[in-house]
Amino acid sequence: MAVVHEFQYHKPTSLKETLQLLAKQGEKSRLLAGGTDLAVYIKEGLEYPESVIDIKRVPELSKFEVTKDHVYIGANVTFSDILENQKIKNNWQLLWESARSVASVGIRNRATLVGNICSAIPSMDSAPALLCYEAKVHLRNAKGTRQVAIDKWWTAPRKTVRKADEIVLGVSLGKPSDKHAGCYIKLGRYGGEDLAQAGLGLLVTAKHEYRIAWCAVGPIPIRAKKTEKLLDGKALTPALISKAMDLVLSEITPITDIRSSREYRNHICRIMLQRGLEVCNDRLKSKKVDTSRILGG
Amino acid sequence: MNKYKYIGKKEIRIDGREKVSGAAIYGDDIDFGANLLYAEIVSSTQAHAIIKKIDTKAAEQVEGVYKVFTGKDFPYKFGLYMKDRYIFAQDKVRFVGEQVAAVIGRTPQAAKKGAQLVKVDYEPLPAVTNQMDALKKDSVLLHPELGEYPHVPWFFPKAGTNIAHWRKTRKGDLEKGFREADLVFEDEYHVPRYAHCAIETHVAIGKYDLSGRLTVWSSSQSPHTQRHLFAEALAPMGLTHKNIRVIAPHVGGGFGGKAGVTMEILPAALATKLPGYAVKLRWTREQEFVNTYQRLGVVAKLKVGVKKDGTITALDHKIYWDAGAYVEYGANVVNAVGLSAIGPYRIPNVSIDSVCVYTNLPPGGAYRGFGYSEMLFGLESHMTRIAKKLGMDEVKFRLKNAIKEGDSTAYGAEMNPSGLIECIEKVAKEIDWGKSIKSKDPRKAIGKGFAIFWKAPAMPPNASSSAFLKFNEDGSINLIISGMDIGQGYQTVMAQIAAEVLSVPPSKIRVETPDTDRNPYEWQTVASHITWGSGNAVKRAALDAREQILSLVERVFTISKDQLYLEDEAVKCTTRQNFHLPLKDFVVNGIMTEDGTFKGGPINARGMFLPEFSSANSDPETSQGGHPNVHYTVGAGALTLEIDKETGKMHVLKAVEAIDAGQAINPDLINGQITGGLLQGLATVLYEDMRYDEKGKLLNPNFTDYKIPTAMDVPDEIVPIIVEVPQPDGPFGARGIGEHTMLPAAPMIANAVEDALGIRIKSMPITAEKVALALINNSKKRKK
Amino acid sequence: MAKIKFTLNDEIRTVEVEPNEILLDVLRDKLGMKSPKCGCDRGDCGACAVLLNGKSVRSCLVFAIEVEGQEVRTLEGISQPKLTQLQEAFIEFNSFQCGYCAPGVIISATELLEKNPHPNLEEIKEALSGNLCRCTGYTPIFDAILDVTKRRKK
Repeated sequence: MAVVHEFQYHKPTSLKETLQLLAKQGEKSRLLAGGTDLAVYIKEGLEYPESVIDIKRVPELSKFEVTKDHVYIGANVTFSDILENQKIKNNWQLLWESARSVASVGIRNRATLVGNICSAIPSMDSAPALLCYEAKVHLRNAKGTRQVAIDKWWTAPRKTVRKADEIVLGVSLGKPSDKHAGCYIKLGRYGGEDLAQAGLGLLVTAKHEYRIAWCAVGPIPIRAKKTEKLLDGKALTPALISKAMDLVLSEITPITDIRSSREYRNHICRIMLQRGLEVCNDRLKSKKVDTSRILGG
Repeated sequence: MNKYKYIGKKEIRIDGREKVSGAAIYGDDIDFGANLLYAEIVSSTQAHAIIKKIDTKAAEQVEGVYKVFTGKDFPYKFGLYMKDRYIFAQDKVRFVGEQVAAVIGRTPQAAKKGAQLVKVDYEPLPAVTNQMDALKKDSVLLHPELGEYPHVPWFFPKAGTNIAHWRKTRKGDLEKGFREADLVFEDEYHVPRYAHCAIETHVAIGKYDLSGRLTVWSSSQSPHTQRHLFAEALAPMGLTHKNIRVIAPHVGGGFGGKAGVTMEILPAALATKLPGYAVKLRWTREQEFVNTYQRLGVVAKLKVGVKKDGTITALDHKIYWDAGAYVEYGANVVNAVGLSAIGPYRIPNVSIDSVCVYTNLPPGGAYRGFGYSEMLFGLESHMTRIAKKLGMDEVKFRLKNAIKEGDSTAYGAEMNPSGLIECIEKVAKEIDWGKSIKSKDPRKAIGKGFAIFWKAPAMPPNASSSAFLKFNEDGSINLIISGMDIGQGYQTVMAQIAAEVLSVPPSKIRVETPDTDRNPYEWQTVASHITWGSGNAVKRAALDAREQILSLVERVFTISKDQLYLEDEAVKCTTRQNFHLPLKDFVVNGIMTEDGTFKGGPINARGMFLPEFSSANSDPETSQGGHPNVHYTVGAGALTLEIDKETGKMHVLKAVEAIDAGQAINPDLINGQITGGLLQGLATVLYEDMRYDEKGKLLNPNFTDYKIPTAMDVPDEIVPIIVEVPQPDGPFGARGIGEHTMLPAAPMIANAVEDALGIRIKSMPITAEKVALALINNSKKRKK
Repeated sequence: MAKIKFTLNDEIRTVEVEPNEILLDVLRDKLGMKSPKCGCDRGDCGACAVLLNGKSVRSCLVFAIEVEGQEVRTLEGISQPKLTQLQEAFIEFNSFQCGYCAPGVIISATELLEKNPHPNLEEIKEALSGNLCRCTGYTPIFDAILDVTKRRKK
């Protein structure tokens, strides 16, 4: 398809050069990493930047560090990079499962996690994991750096607190220090790739700390604080899980759209929480559980 | 037991290497260099409106824009079975997406830029977007001049209404049939529209050269029919068939969507105003969704009477079709089902009303199954429910009523030989019918669903096929035919037929995509008829070649023809063991005799097939008396479905399908149709979901939100079963199966859902959401 | 216009592009590679898949200017000097029907077998999940790949 909109293309090779470009062009520019969102927007006339700044050649933005306790995901790190990392697969299960649920290989080879949280579509699969791991977003502009806690990052659908002259350097994640298990459960319409109609991230520690996060069921992804409070400090029992399920509707605000109805989303989210908690319970006991068909189908 | 060398064998596709290496050329791959112009279409944003003004001035000023055209440049109508359609909208638009203007650019960007600047002023008219509203007395009329439209003699439009065609079939005495019944059961079923979603979108390039000849390269299932429709539509411009040439490259999927003519008329017509240039139009995926044929929507009212012992005594089937703004092709879907909506059953007293209704939505047209999928969803759901009400096993019920050879069809003709009973029995055995399975997971329920199906090719009575056959010096053969391999393996199957007759292996037979100037006439590659129709033509051509070859050898060597035969690419003799004359030695060069003269010469053969027994004449009020359908292909299917009782999500554990192919020419390719067709059918019932808003706009014209199956959606197990009860007038006994394989999918799922969960869903799609919410509503009702 | 240089099917190519030109279009219209196809223009169908530095990407979502200095491989670069074992298996198993999805599927399958020479059925499905095929129902594609992995094991 021919692209009508014309723009300038820049390919800085250093962070300094990138920041200079941003300082000059700010609102009128867009940053390009994987391009799996931006290319669609430009082609369909939804975005028309005057310039596109390709950051793939900036080494500082390609940093990718994984240890047992800490992950740093630079702006250029793709979902495939995350998926192919054995340490993430073994120790950061919720993040790994979230990455696996994104689209398909051909998209994951380009799409970046940072791009995902900057596009900020309410159904973004990376959000629940980042919320549960209490991630921090690292920003920089010509004037300096700052960090934003992930639960303050999104303000509305497609909107973040990033200023026009800022670049997200990367995202850092921390883990609970206690033994824990996690999982990501995603509601799609069938077995193939789909935007989440509801997404649930869970982290449960052996000491009964619970982190629960939703995407696609509200204008921005959220931590389910009421549910976490109910469960905090308690071992999971069917009765307790049932109580938690009853709280779900008080924390999520799904809409009816072309993909799903509010009624169905409300119903499924309760099931997702129940099954997700059961999975985490099993995984805490070192049972191997595959969540790819956890909702059936 | 196989008595053939090439028939009935899994042969490797003769176009396989081309497609796997990347050599295959599709429409958009053809290079025209600097001679090429690009067309961009301006589409209607209104479902029903008068066009007040089209302002093209700004578009014309864009650098790189060559010309801009609107409807006034092409005030001509066209249509396959009825002329109700326009090249460009004239005074009115009748659906969102209808073509209103075209911008021609020297680059795609310029054309697109120009199109964005065309301003159209509309005066909205009331729009009607469902067929039941369009039938009401006070509904807006889409085609006030309906009474004046030329159409084929077997259509019955009702002027002054939105009814474009009403096929009535009446057999026996309906009231008596219901009186004889011990149980009469009535209900209604709803099926929405569906999209073909071939991975290649429509593309066509038109070139009107300076000598006045129009060539159209077109991704099409029907090059000859396209040429004919172009000739009809463009006759006012002085064009006739002699000066129109259609060349078909490889086609990236059709499924009926590339039959007839839709967008191809645009570059063909535009070219005539751009002499000397080629102009290309390629649909985007969005345009593919909104401005090509769609599968028609259906509201079906079924009333069936049965005796206590399971005998069906009467059927009253009223089917109302949402056929879209133009029904030149879709009306024949309505017609075809109107003749066959009894399903593969023996029913003495029948009333069918199949009503084609205009709506302000995209035109309905040919889609794999030609209306039978839509009809069978309701019918096969209904039959299962009736069996249950009788307390009778539904497979036994179907066996009891299954139509047999010689039984009367709905329109009073005789049913052809068919292996329907064998299909039913084999499927029931393979799926272990009668044994219910319990899931180990308490959250899941498992159900089994069964359905039978049939379909006949829906064709005009003179739909014909032709074949030329020639040899090359290496003994290879060119088979020159005009059917299209749209993926089903047509080229390979035709090669196998010629191979069998001439004893030349299929790998030495070349079949190319057609050029209407070089390849003899084929009506269309639709209706699952070309294995049969074109196969007969090819067989006749091969027999003609064999006759020429053997006659020549008889003449030159003075051996009686009845002692000569072909084997391993040579002529051999039953009475002379050493006689061995390789074909390549003489099929071009002739046979040199002792005195140095040559006898014979290039062997050029021909064959043609037209079903001379077919007739569309019948009583317009009852449909009795004609022979509109050449034969029916039958089959049966069953599946085991696992349903998550809380989420409603469904997973097909095992699907079995048996189909009577008459004689499987290439069993591997038939299995390919079963696997592919079943998955396409399952997709329509499980997750494909077209959503229109009240203003007639399609809300999901992309793969992000119109979901077609991926590698992750394949059933755990698919068992194809080929039954072979020969079709007496088919090549080696073969009949077509390409569309049929998707027919049983939807009712099988509906029946399996009821079997597993006790809920009956009477509308498609049957999504996880629908099932879950139905279960919740059910339990709410029970609690009350 | 920018002049970019990159490796296409093992050959260094130079081409002039505007920033807004899409890699798929440039490969097809300026560089003579017709195998990657346009199916949806949004990255949903995989018909445009090519290998960029060995990884499959949606060439309809890449601006050509981005691949300067990189390595791109299309089906043309896989089919030469002769068809691979995988391609021969696709022919033998009659894996494709209309063939339009074949270039994209072969790109994805080639990438899979490079990464994982012995994938099981689940891994094959996952690797191909982004390539839409409307004709085959996928099973004969899986069968061909499984056959190749079986033969390699021996």
